[in-house]
Amino acid sequence: MITGNKSTSWKFSSWFFALALMAPIVVMVVAGANASTVLFTHLWSTVLPEYISNTLILGFLVAILTLFFGVPAAVLVSQTNVYMAKQLRWLLMLPLAMPAYLVAYLYTDLFDYAGPVQRFLRACFGWQSPSDYYFFDIRTIGGAAVVIALVLFPYVYMLTRTAFENQDRNLLRASRLLGCNEKQSFYQIALPLARPAIAISLTLVIMETLADFATVQYFAVNTLTTAIYDTWLGYGDFPAANALASMLMLLVLFVVVAEQKARAGQRHQSSRPNTEQEIKKLSLPQQVLASVFCWGLVITGFLLPLALLIVMALDYSDFQQLLSLIETGKNSITVATYSATIATLVALFLGLFYRLHHSKGRMLPLQISGFGYAIPGTVLAMAMLATFGPLDHMINDLAKYFAIKPPGLILSGTVFAIIFAYVVRFSAIANGTISAGVGQIPKSLDLAPASLGIKLLPTVFRVHLPLLKSSIFVAWLLVFVEAMKELPAVLLLRPFNFETLSTQVYQLISDEQLEQGALGAILIVLFGLLPIIFLNRQKDNK
Amino acid sequence: MLNKICFSFLVLVTLLATSYSALASEEVNVYSYRQPFLVKPLFDEFTKQSGVKVNVVFAKKGMAERLAREGEYSPADVLLTTDISRLVELHDKSLLQAVDSNKLEQAISEQFRANDDTWFALTTRVRNIYSAKRLGNIELSYEDLADPKYKGRVCTRSGKHAYNVALVSSMIATHGEAKTLEWLEGVKTNLARKPQGNDRGQVQAIHQNLCDLAIGNSYYFGKMQTNKDQQVWAEAVNINFPNQDNRGAHVNISGVAMAKYAPNKANALALMEFLVSEQAQQMYAETNMEYPVRDGVKWSERVASWGEFKADNLSLETIAKHRKAALTLLDKAKFDL
Amino acid sequence: MNELIKIDNVAVKLQNKSILSGVELSLKRGEILGLVGPSGCGKTTLLNTLAGFIEQSDGEITISAVDKSPLHISLKNMLPAEARNIGMIFQDYALFPHLSVTENICFGIKKLSKTAQQQRCQELLDLLELSEYATRFPHQLSGGQQQRVAIARALAPQPSLLLLDEPFSNIDARLRNELMIEIRQLLKRLDMTAIFVTHNKDEVFTFADKIAVMHQGQVLQVGAPAKVCQQPSSWQVADFLQLGSWLPVKAQSSQELIQLNSAIGNIAETAISNISGLLSIANHANYQLLVKPNDIKLSTSQANNVVIEHIGVTEQGYHYLLNSIEQSSPLAFTQLSFYSEQLFSLGQALAIELHDGQFLLYPTE
Repeated sequence: MITGNKSTSWKFSSWFFALALMAPIVVMVVAGANASTVLFTHLWSTVLPEYISNTLILGFLVAILTLFFGVPAAVLVSQTNVYMAKQLRWLLMLPLAMPAYLVAYLYTDLFDYAGPVQRFLRACFGWQSPSDYYFFDIRTIGGAAVVIALVLFPYVYMLTRTAFENQDRNLLRASRLLGCNEKQSFYQIALPLARPAIAISLTLVIMETLADFATVQYFAVNTLTTAIYDTWLGYGDFPAANALASMLMLLVLFVVVAEQKARAGQRHQSSRPNTEQEIKKLSLPQQVLASVFCWGLVITGFLLPLALLIVMALDYSDFQQLLSLIETGKNSITVATYSATIATLVALFLGLFYRLHHSKGRMLPLQISGFGYAIPGTVLAMAMLATFGPLDHMINDLAKYFAIKPPGLILSGTVFAIIFAYVVRFSAIANGTISAGVGQIPKSLDLAPASLGIKLLPTVFRVHLPLLKSSIFVAWLLVFVEAMKELPAVLLLRPFNFETLSTQVYQLISDEQLEQGALGAILIVLFGLLPIIFLNRQKDNK
Repeated sequence: MLNKICFSFLVLVTLLATSYSALASEEVNVYSYRQPFLVKPLFDEFTKQSGVKVNVVFAKKGMAERLAREGEYSPADVLLTTDISRLVELHDKSLLQAVDSNKLEQAISEQFRANDDTWFALTTRVRNIYSAKRLGNIELSYEDLADPKYKGRVCTRSGKHAYNVALVSSMIATHGEAKTLEWLEGVKTNLARKPQGNDRGQVQAIHQNLCDLAIGNSYYFGKMQTNKDQQVWAEAVNINFPNQDNRGAHVNISGVAMAKYAPNKANALALMEFLVSEQAQQMYAETNMEYPVRDGVKWSERVASWGEFKADNLSLETIAKHRKAALTLLDKAKFDL
Repeated sequence: MNELIKIDNVAVKLQNKSILSGVELSLKRGEILGLVGPSGCGKTTLLNTLAGFIEQSDGEITISAVDKSPLHISLKNMLPAEARNIGMIFQDYALFPHLSVTENICFGIKKLSKTAQQQRCQELLDLLELSEYATRFPHQLSGGQQQRVAIARALAPQPSLLLLDEPFSNIDARLRNELMIEIRQLLKRLDMTAIFVTHNKDEVFTFADKIAVMHQGQVLQVGAPAKVCQQPSSWQVADFLQLGSWLPVKAQSSQELIQLNSAIGNIAETAISNISGLLSIANHANYQLLVKPNDIKLSTSQANNVVIEHIGVTEQGYHYLLNSIEQSSPLAFTQLSFYSEQLFSLGQALAIELHDGQFLLYPTE
């Protein structure tokens, strides 16, 4: 495969990329190692145990709920004749386009005691105070878990559905002939076979949940991220904050490792795409239940929040606002485009390295570069400053030494820092998509061109890249959308006069004036729809 | 191939660097904790008068850290904050420089600026207690929030919010830590729901009969009165200036300071002086319904209608000093949990 | 009622397209049937219909296992796959990738007690020489081992009928024959009734007791392989089984007798052995004559009438494909098979004629 000089330089650069992405994390952990224990003891004896248990409960609940939402939805759409299955296929992906903090804001507002729903109920039934009736409290761990799960379940849905659709039909048939009825063969064969896909999507969900801050804040749920912010912003103890963030990362790492351990020894299923699945016909009551379930998810996860935004936008928007959106929208798109492009290129580079290189630790760069996904945006932003700040200082000191005009903070003070942070944070997504694509290329194709006398690099360009075209595009789009939605990192790292759609929306939300930002929020959502539309069209073309 | 990638990467970096670091000469750079739409009209006016362009970056979290990391190469000139603790934090990290300006000293009384002239207040805001109209006109003190007769009738935002932390600090300064912890625990048992939302949300909760008392900043009252949806909330409450019989109501400030390594010092000074000018103070009073720090500037009509009050003249530096103790007590009382 | 399985007038429609129609088949206990036909002829559909993966739109399938009341499967009584007591071996074996060899084999006998399961499994592991792989996972086995596991798994629940879908297509050609004989012996020893699908006629001759040739959703002919080869009921059967080459002929009546004229000579109506299958031979009509290689001999009396297009070497000597020299005539032909010990050169013209003997005649397409 790869031999000689090229091999070493490829290996070297793969590790370079991986370590570059890892650098901010290392900086964070090192800073954390220097934390004083005084604050820790105080936190440990007061609020930290509860924060940790909240974090674990939240992660657990969200995992359970996304499973409960995502897996049945995937089953219904891929294996039954549920009414409008073709539309539901993509409708169920839409909640992914909603930033969680937005939905959290809208729902806490809606279901709060003072919110319209409870007000309406009180008006209808003449209740006077909370003691007159029972209504669930949205601002609880449970409420937060439901809302987060409503936006994140599409991960589980998408990956599980794909797993079901690519399942070898003969395996299910074999189990039927061996005496299983439909239900048994689903639980004994189909579900276990989809387990790797479910596990991967669940890891993504848990990572997102654990790293979340803005969303849980609306729910007044205190988690480890709250502790990180408290120690850092409240107590002003940056090392202790880093230590907590490192702890959080360890927790996520534990989830990832546990997931990989759990399915060690299992190979990926032999996927035979495009085998037509046997579609189960639902009885009328089943049909009704299934439709209610699927549409419930689509409505609560997407349509209702979008409708709320549209109503706000219609009420409050004016032409002036539209104009201001052009500039901020442009910024959002620029940053997201750069991030998506770089993250995809790096993922491609590392993915192909893993595939084509023959060295022992060849999967390590790929794994290392995905760590950033587990780090809360603000903490990552701090780590960026801690990493690039000193570098900038070196550059400027050097410039001074050579009597050149110091260039200023060209790394930490420019969009570079934001883009780098995004690449660190979202590499995991690009890596996952690209590796999956690479995995589907038959191994023989790595060798076939060599037999035709074609060298490795042209092989990659003429064989692998064309075959990866759609994976590349999907990876790009997914990172693009995440970057459009991302908030905390851009908030802290942005240069002067630099607004993105998410910062603008956030500022208005934080002043309880989402109405004014509804148009921008809708724009974020619309951009979020792009990859979904594309993914759907791609499937139809097959 | 690899060389090409590296090369294009370098090109990208340089492009980015040049496009964003190339700033015009007559300008001033502001790091703001205050939301841009609150200060933008002021900056626009400043630019109109002086011709100096104002660049703003707004962030609620991590601004001090960013400034510290940037060190001597920081582009920041002026820092705007929304409460005293941030100013003192910046001061303690020696990220500020003293400003020697007659205009500033004349405009702002000693109570509202740092001893070493590193920071200056721009406006003051009272931490009020809003009470339900149904309770009638009553006199309240912060201590009353822990009175068992209000059990289950008190609402507040997170105790960890800077505004509440400052209030707790002032309690520590007055009563000492042990009494304050007792008070916090008392308030906690009186809470109708766990701390959540923002100041306006608490008034809304009173309107919805979820609670009777709420803690909130003064200017929010004015903002609610002028918002078509929130008017009804404001109408459900009375605004109370607490502790009028004794030390007076707790007052916080929004402030301004000059960054230690400010590259545009002259413009920064001009901007700071403009912000305490009568005109700017008037704008503050009118648009944001805060209390101007400059003597002689008329309160907005609406703010004036809430009445005169006695303010606690505890020094702002004392309040900032007790900040960490306040946070520790909030943790001990598990106030937010 | 000594048939184990009886397929009576079964038809299958998918999306309003008729895939199978009027299928009639029956098998006795212990018989092995080879189902052959060109791709798309419906043989796999028939297998899937028997297994219960596809519902028939008409007809009845009866499975009468010993000691059990017969199962009647019809439109009115559509038994699900798991209730038919049928085992199947899939082309790609369909081993459960998440289960070990033992777990795969025991999958269908969960209802038995643990010890009974273990015993049955051990028997099968021994029988198929799989004992040392018991704890491995499918992806750790070779193709041949995977197939043994698939067989063991299918046999474990003691099905009354075993279906095999192209079972040998993934096996190395050199091993294939050996394996077929081995598996045939195994099935015979177990007195297992089996239906297997293949597109390779040679597999049928090695593996099956009976052959069924399918074409366009219908079973054209069923019988012992030798008998079907001797008396193919239609040209499609003969063609699929590659029993010989096709020689175009034209009927020509002279006096009372009908003669069949071809480019390499004429034969009398009396030389046609399947004349009863045709209603009658119409004068001036075109037919095709099935000509086996040994039906042709070199002629000394005729002028050169063919030219050599291809030469192959076989154990029976040289194999030639011959084209008629006169290609414009309606009786022209190409690629007529002919064996000879003599070596000719490519493009050489030869004179050939038909042996005396019996021939099979079929209408043209």
